[in-house]
Amino acid sequence: MSDNVLIVDDEKDFLDLISERLAARDVKVSTATRAQDALSLLDKESYDAVVLDLQMPEMDGLEALKRIKEKNPDVQVILLTGHATVEKGVEAMKLGAMDLIEKPADLTTIIDRIKRAKAEKIILVEKKSEQRIRDILTRKGW
Amino acid sequence: METKKLPDETALAFYSKVSASISHELKNSLAVINESAGFLEDIILMAQKGRPLDPNQIGALAGTVLKQVQRSNTIIKNMNRLAHSLDEKRSSIELIDLLELMTCLVERTAVNKGVKISTTFPETRINLTTCPFYLQTLVWLVLEYSMAACGVDKTIGLGVTQTNAGARIYFSGLKSVTSGSIDDFFSGRLESLLAVLKADLTISESDGRLEFLLPASVPEIFES
Repeated sequence: MSDNVLIVDDEKDFLDLISERLAARDVKVSTATRAQDALSLLDKESYDAVVLDLQMPEMDGLEALKRIKEKNPDVQVILLTGHATVEKGVEAMKLGAMDLIEKPADLTTIIDRIKRAKAEKIILVEKKSEQRIRDILTRKGW
Repeated sequence: METKKLPDETALAFYSKVSASISHELKNSLAVINESAGFLEDIILMAQKGRPLDPNQIGALAGTVLKQVQRSNTIIKNMNRLAHSLDEKRSSIELIDLLELMTCLVERTAVNKGVKISTTFPETRINLTTCPFYLQTLVWLVLEYSMAACGVDKTIGLGVTQTNAGARIYFSGLKSVTSGSIDDFFSGRLESLLAVLKADLTISESDGRLEFLLPASVPEIFES
């Protein structure tokens, strides 16, 4: 099954190019130029990873990250940034970002992080399923 | 307690902020160029496997790269203009040029905050002898303050008129401008800038407007 990723960046040219290149590598890509639109897409679809620009109009990446994690704690967020200060990086990690990549980034690096994000998400979902089964077993006393 | 900041300290902070913003813009531009180069490599690989080359696709990629080169060139030109304003502490400047540069430099910050800056500049040139770097610092800070004070309309008016004694720069559309919020925002940075620029500030809370009166010439600055 191909990886399913949402890329959020206010640079339209960047979005168009990276989506086409990822699609050629069998990655299913959705895009948004605004964080608000990304949040709406996340309501409708489940993604293996969200690649999020740190600086965007109206709602910046950190605020968007916070809201994404509130809505869906399992979703793996990779931050993409033009200039990452140590403080921002630390803040992003505290808010639950999986990784932070600096622009311009190599496509291989981005794909590698998307694959890692997918694997991480599978582990989280499996853990949750296990917990759910354990809860049922405890409740039913089997 | 509010501590008075030296104008150099304030100006250095402004310069750092602009430099960070510019480097971010350049990185964004480089990211697009980087993806364009990668896409070209993809096209070559596909052509080697027998897929015919599409001249329109290659033309579009060249156009994207060209657009980013022009964008980066403008950013670097503005950075260069800003850097040269430090050449002399006091010099003759054209005020509209300076304000246009400042609106370009602050554009990214304004876009990020969803704010539009609407300018009204006269046709005639306004020449002043002033401290350009301190004046740029003042304009930047006031624009930053204005972005927070413009309310839900999210539009700032920036204009300039010539006066008998020099020039008047005004910032309008500041729905929530108050003396208190100005003191809080500038926290000791404003007085020293106004002093070195020999400028007067008028706050009109009811009109949502700030006006700065600048003299045609400021005296030489003597280093201690």
